[in-house]
Amino acid sequence: MNGAGRNNSLARAMLGTISVGSVLIAWWLATSLELVKPLILPPPADVWVGFLDIWHGYLNVPFWNHFLASISVMLGGYAMAIAIGVPLGIFMAWNRAVDWVVGPLLQILRPIPPPAWIPLAILWFGIGYAGKIFIVFIAAAVPCILNSYLAIKQTPPELLSSARSLGAKPHTLLFEVAIPSGLPTIMTGLRIALGIAWASIVAAELVVSLAGFGFLIMNGYRNLESNIVFVGMAAVALLGLLMNLVFLRIERALLPWREDQDNG
Amino acid sequence: MADGSAEARASHLPAEAAPAVITRSLGDRIEALPNALRVGVMLFFWLVVWYGVVELFGVSKDFLPNPIDVISRIIRLAWEPIGAGALLTHAWASIVRLLWGFAAAIAIGVPLGLAMAYFRPLQWIVAPLFELFRYIPPIAWAPFAMFWFGAGSSAQAYVIFTSSFAPILINTFRGVQLVDSRLIDAARTLGAKSWTILFEVALPAALPHVVTGLRIGLATGWMALIAAEIVAGTGSRDGLGYLILQGQQQLHADLTIGAMVLIGILGSLIDLAIRTAEKRFAYWRD
Amino acid sequence: MQNDLSYENVTMRFEGRSGAVQALERFDFQVSSSEFLVIVGPSGCGKSTLLHLTAGLYKPPTGRILLGGSEIREPGPDKAIVFQNFSLFPWKTVHDNIEFGLRINGIPAAEREEQIKRVIRLIGLDGFENHYPRQLSGGMQQRVAIARSFVLKPRTLLMDEPFAALDAQNRQIMQEELVRIWQTQRPTVLFITHSVEEAVFLADRVIVMTRRPGRVKEVIDITQITGENHWRSDPFDEVIRRAEFQDVRSRIWGLVKSEISVRN
Repeated sequence: MNGAGRNNSLARAMLGTISVGSVLIAWWLATSLELVKPLILPPPADVWVGFLDIWHGYLNVPFWNHFLASISVMLGGYAMAIAIGVPLGIFMAWNRAVDWVVGPLLQILRPIPPPAWIPLAILWFGIGYAGKIFIVFIAAAVPCILNSYLAIKQTPPELLSSARSLGAKPHTLLFEVAIPSGLPTIMTGLRIALGIAWASIVAAELVVSLAGFGFLIMNGYRNLESNIVFVGMAAVALLGLLMNLVFLRIERALLPWREDQDNG
Repeated sequence: MADGSAEARASHLPAEAAPAVITRSLGDRIEALPNALRVGVMLFFWLVVWYGVVELFGVSKDFLPNPIDVISRIIRLAWEPIGAGALLTHAWASIVRLLWGFAAAIAIGVPLGLAMAYFRPLQWIVAPLFELFRYIPPIAWAPFAMFWFGAGSSAQAYVIFTSSFAPILINTFRGVQLVDSRLIDAARTLGAKSWTILFEVALPAALPHVVTGLRIGLATGWMALIAAEIVAGTGSRDGLGYLILQGQQQLHADLTIGAMVLIGILGSLIDLAIRTAEKRFAYWRD
Repeated sequence: MQNDLSYENVTMRFEGRSGAVQALERFDFQVSSSEFLVIVGPSGCGKSTLLHLTAGLYKPPTGRILLGGSEIREPGPDKAIVFQNFSLFPWKTVHDNIEFGLRINGIPAAEREEQIKRVIRLIGLDGFENHYPRQLSGGMQQRVAIARSFVLKPRTLLMDEPFAALDAQNRQIMQEELVRIWQTQRPTVLFITHSVEEAVFLADRVIVMTRRPGRVKEVIDITQITGENHWRSDPFDEVIRRAEFQDVRSRIWGLVKSEISVRN
């Protein structure tokens, strides 16, 4: 790296620190000077108290119950979405008859935003786990199906031609050419689905739940405890970030041939 | 390109889609049908399946009404008031909220994205803050939005704003960043000054990206709107999300499903409109 | 010499958006066993179509193509094709790319390894077995693509502008390499190029095709000029300076040029 590059990254780190730092200081000043009411923006100390509150069991529900409630439902719906969405998308792309039959149905369901399913899910499955799993499934299935479909449709034609010319039969073309070739696109779909699944479980919990981060946020709102809302949001963001990082790790491990760095 | 002919396009097709077909299978004949006809027939088929399942198994209307019930409910919505009014009132309320949030997202997102791409220090200042807030799902803002604006339209518009803002900002920023630097160099050698470059080179070149950002922003905004109306709608008695919620609370599944269908249709229309606009703005591409 | 590949009255049409396009018309030709045949002609003259038909990627509506006396009905390793853009499987290493054809054609593992080793040495890529395509230069990638087809011991090797994506230096090296590799097994080669020099250097016979619909315009027998010792075994930059090379080159270029209308 040359001198200018080093200066740039130094300036970048400095400006970044300054910007985040000044936001934190402004938060602290505005609340401690009582420029804004705690309800509008909870002071840092209140947030800490809120965090301890939740950690030690807010309203007598242990922290890990909230954690498990959100994560388990989300992972359940997400796993279902992958298990059904990916094969369906691949199948639709590979077989035009399936595409003709299922395609229009998906086209008509797709524009309905996932949160719009929440009331219907409650109507059908009640306020328990089943309804929330259903919502997460509906929300996450869309990118799983779409990206798997695109992944197969976008297989470079000359790869298929080459493989056929080397003697590949249809199932070899699908499993050894189209699917590996489309795997990056499929993985992108799964990553998008992960984010949507997480947002959906929070939305569902905001509407109706007895535990989970969405419940914490909504309960904080009802009791006018903005610090609880704050901590709930922070926890949701942090977990979302962590899941994304884990996913990127997995993605990189699964697709070694895509990595940018050369190993000799 | 001389090779961009039918030959070049068809040269890699798999055998079953061979360009000049001697014997036409049933599949080929269906393939040759107009797309709209095929989709229409299949949609009718699915409606029949839906109807059949409901009637055959005697599913309760409170659980899953048949399609005719839903359609007649949608039609009746046109004049039968629920809450604040009939269908147009609710659709209008939703659209106004959407447009407020969306307009705010454009007003801040586009100039900020441009400025970030133009002045690198600004990018370094904003990016970390952006990362800090990025992983908060828009709907999780609803409670704070209600603390700040009261439970009503403004809070809902704010949720829409948080949802539309990110794609608009990112796409504008990337659009300007991705402008081929050779274009800018070429303009400079032709004597263009920096304002000319911004307005006559960078902006037009970035415009398709910006419009794409707007399209994604509007789509995510639409999604957030419905969520906001369901979660943060306690103060308002209008909006399509309100209709869905009313259906659930009064155990009128036909109302819930009917409102969902309307939301889907309206969402598709909005998407279609902006896609058409997108094509117009990017007419010079491909 | 016995006939290996024969085209009987082959016609090919495509349904384009602007109506049907006649790609080939009454194409009649015989190729001898182990012959190196190069086809040149204006863009869109149907030479790629001819190659794809020969590979069995699709069937001509009228006419027949016979390979060793039997009609070509489907693609297979006896008529392997090499594309301009290499078409290596990006998710497979060099070793696995070459192994693909052997494996799906049921060659036992031990024999596969032996063959792969042999062909990797032949193309001079020892030590690169575990590299992914993106880690290789264009020339190296094309060597692997040739090896992937060559290892199947095809009766006919079809090459669709294989060196068009390479820079001038690499192109020259690859032409000489191809001659060396080809001479170890001497399959029949059908080679398409836009470069008249390449054609004259490599070919036993050069076919000049007319513009669409493609027909044989003229056949130039290079071996009549070179005699028994074909000049392709000599260094390229030395050969192109010979007067007889220059003569035939400009003659063929004149033929091709007359087929490229001014408006194209």
